[in-house]
Amino acid sequence: MTELVTEVGGPGAPASGPPARARQVLRRLRSDRPAMAGLVVTVVLILAAVFAPLLAAIEGQDTTTFHIQLLDSARGGVPRGALGGVSADHWLGVEPTTGRDLFARALYGARISFTVAFGTLVVQLLLGVAIGLAAGFGGRVADAALGRLIDLAISFPQLMFAIALLAIVPQSFPRPVLLMLVIGLFNWGGTARLTRGQVLSLKTRDYVAAARLSGASPARIALREILPGALPQVLTYAAILLPTNMVSEAGLSFLGVGVHPPTSSWGQMLSTATTWFRADPMYVLVPGLSLLTAVLAFTLFADGLRAALDPKASPRGRR
Amino acid sequence: MLRKVPVLLTAAAVLAAASACSSGGSTSASGGSSFDPKNCQGGTLYILNQDSATDEHFDPARIYTSGGGAVPSLVFRTLTTRKRVPGEAGTTVAPDLATDTGTPSDDAKTWTYHLRDGLKFEDGTPITSEDVKWGVERSFAPELPGGIPYLRDWLVGGADYTGPYKGKELDSIQTPTDKTIVFKLRKPEGDFPYVATATQFAPVPKAKDGGTAFEKHPISSGPYKVQTHVQDKSLTLVRNPNWSRAADDQRLACPDRIEATYGLSAAVINQRLSTSSGKDANAITTDTDLSPAELARISTDPNLKKRTVRGQFGYTNFIAFNTKVKPFDDVRVRQAISYAVNRQAAVIAVGGSSLATAATTFLPDQAAFGYQPYDAFPAGPTGNPTKAKELLAQAGQSNLSITLAHRNSDSHQDGPAVATAVQEALKQAGITVNLKAYDQASYRSVQTKPSTEPGIFLSGWGADWPTGGPFLAPIFDGRQILKDGGNYNFAQYDDPKVNAEFDATNKISDPVQARPRWGALDAELGEQALTVPLFHPIYLRLYGKNVKNPYLDQWRGSYDVAMVSVK
Repeated sequence: MTELVTEVGGPGAPASGPPARARQVLRRLRSDRPAMAGLVVTVVLILAAVFAPLLAAIEGQDTTTFHIQLLDSARGGVPRGALGGVSADHWLGVEPTTGRDLFARALYGARISFTVAFGTLVVQLLLGVAIGLAAGFGGRVADAALGRLIDLAISFPQLMFAIALLAIVPQSFPRPVLLMLVIGLFNWGGTARLTRGQVLSLKTRDYVAAARLSGASPARIALREILPGALPQVLTYAAILLPTNMVSEAGLSFLGVGVHPPTSSWGQMLSTATTWFRADPMYVLVPGLSLLTAVLAFTLFADGLRAALDPKASPRGRR
Repeated sequence: MLRKVPVLLTAAAVLAAASACSSGGSTSASGGSSFDPKNCQGGTLYILNQDSATDEHFDPARIYTSGGGAVPSLVFRTLTTRKRVPGEAGTTVAPDLATDTGTPSDDAKTWTYHLRDGLKFEDGTPITSEDVKWGVERSFAPELPGGIPYLRDWLVGGADYTGPYKGKELDSIQTPTDKTIVFKLRKPEGDFPYVATATQFAPVPKAKDGGTAFEKHPISSGPYKVQTHVQDKSLTLVRNPNWSRAADDQRLACPDRIEATYGLSAAVINQRLSTSSGKDANAITTDTDLSPAELARISTDPNLKKRTVRGQFGYTNFIAFNTKVKPFDDVRVRQAISYAVNRQAAVIAVGGSSLATAATTFLPDQAAFGYQPYDAFPAGPTGNPTKAKELLAQAGQSNLSITLAHRNSDSHQDGPAVATAVQEALKQAGITVNLKAYDQASYRSVQTKPSTEPGIFLSGWGADWPTGGPFLAPIFDGRQILKDGGNYNFAQYDDPKVNAEFDATNKISDPVQARPRWGALDAELGEQALTVPLFHPIYLRLYGKNVKNPYLDQWRGSYDVAMVSVK
């Protein structure tokens, strides 16, 4: 990240007009097939999550109703029939020992995964940009102090602390919000460091000096002159953070400190499905492949976006 | 004015998870084609376990097991023991060191035992009644805690006795001759022979007793002695040359050597037993059952299916009510929930009909407990939400919203799986159920302290020996409500008539005669809807392919290691 920060001549934005640059970026992005595929899949998944109630209603199922008549009671409660009980009524089969519909649970699980991933991102961006901006713009002492804080945030043993925190917070606290806060609070360091680097390189630019000479207040310079210049890089980085956040949520839910039953999330589904991987592979595949597809799609898109914004720094750069 | 010491459920719960299993009298007790008790000696038996098979401390005073345990009873013989046979008869008591199961007198307040001939310790010294007395007395020593609580409560003077190490004897244990021992109880206890199966009734030679150091080399009276023991890691037992089948009709002791490994995960144990390669072909486990997912896989493999034994440990999983918390003080609300519950869903949640049977009685479905079938709130296998709604309307409860407490893991079958099944069933009756999960460590203590006890929660109960008394009394005897914790009378139910019935039935020293009384009491209590019985668990276990005679005993539902052969 740091190398990306120092090397990139990102602040083209204020110099050349935004529309021209945006068109250029879009053109590059459109010609990047993996990125476009990622975008399409991402949009489809997000739409599926948004319209989860509708889609489940079309299937005629919900996330909580038990269908125990579809299970083989003598065989540990495994679904009857092939592929974990796939049928016209249950498009992806049903869950062992409860008979709850997997299609509906996976869709609603997507809602949790996406909501938490985006919500976490908001927390990360607010914290990371604010602290990065203050460090880059605030002078030597502030930079030194905040720089250490950023180091601390990056080197913190996040997982263990997150588990501890999730375990002690009262259960009445809304779980998705808590997950956003916890994951966000431990993962803003990268954003902050990137923002700081951008600010440091931007604040010596001529147009910033011009603004200062024309009597603009420091706050105005920071927010109106420097921040817009730093944003493209930060947003690209945010696109990469998104799949990471999804994996974090899944990981915490997998470890049993995520959402509470009967709410479903992909991580929680995977967690209960692991013991069933030999008896009912479908139960593992549904959340597993969902998570894989979403993370892959986001990553491809984010990668393409970065390449489009800055062809030179891209690992897939067309050299 | 009797004040009973709490019967420990913790131990029972551990048993249920760890060692609970019993042969449902199944014919699968035929590991190999040819098992001949006369010619079964030889080989090494391996035990693959999650936890230690001998409790934390391998000292007969400190071990808390039912019926003498699986591995402890290979080393420590006791006055009586569980009868080593598959099926229903395995819930009865057999004489071990003694010539019979005990002679009661004075209304079952005095119990007399005579030792059989030819009993020796591993060093060849004869076992006398003094050694048994010493063994019981030392279990009162404060430096050797952890054993069963009953002796302290039952023996005259037991409450204040602090062990024999300071030179003081317990006068209520008398040894008129080398072969006779007499126990004087302060109240009638017809179940005394069941309790005499505990390792606290194992002989300990006074001369070799180093107090807390005794567990380093416990002196064996059984067919095996300890060769090496690394706590919580491994145990190796070898033959005790001074034991012979002539003086012991309850142990075959087929393997020459027994090696136990602890600290394995349940999945690893079942994987190794199913692969059964190398030494694992001679392996069993005394604490690991098949999970629903493992059962689902094994049931499609005829070879593995053949190597599965089935059993039951008397245990009931139920919904408990705290009747001091609104709205559960209203019997109509409790009845409504009893009608609304979908037992079929609860059974499937824990792995289906192979791993549990639906329960409408509090007593387990085994004759030994006095089981009499009844269904106080008949609602069919999937519940009757209509009837439940009527009762709620009568109680003036519309849009009832309650919080069901449960454990945060499914290890004891009182976790999220069963909780969501109950939640879903009560939804049909218009009851909104919020779930509240407690972590593994605190769940039991939260339940058993009236001040922190939730209004409605998932619980389970197993008794220390298979009769109705220890199964019912801690839950329903009003004198066993303990304000400071360790309370299992969850409903905080106190009816003098019921309490009197407990006392009257405890006087009966013939367990077969006591059974109908316990069964009738259970049915009467069931009418009060103080609990909602959900299911009785069934246990399935795998064994290695060379193992013969691997039945699960009905008393504890674990392999009877003393009867297993690997030859």
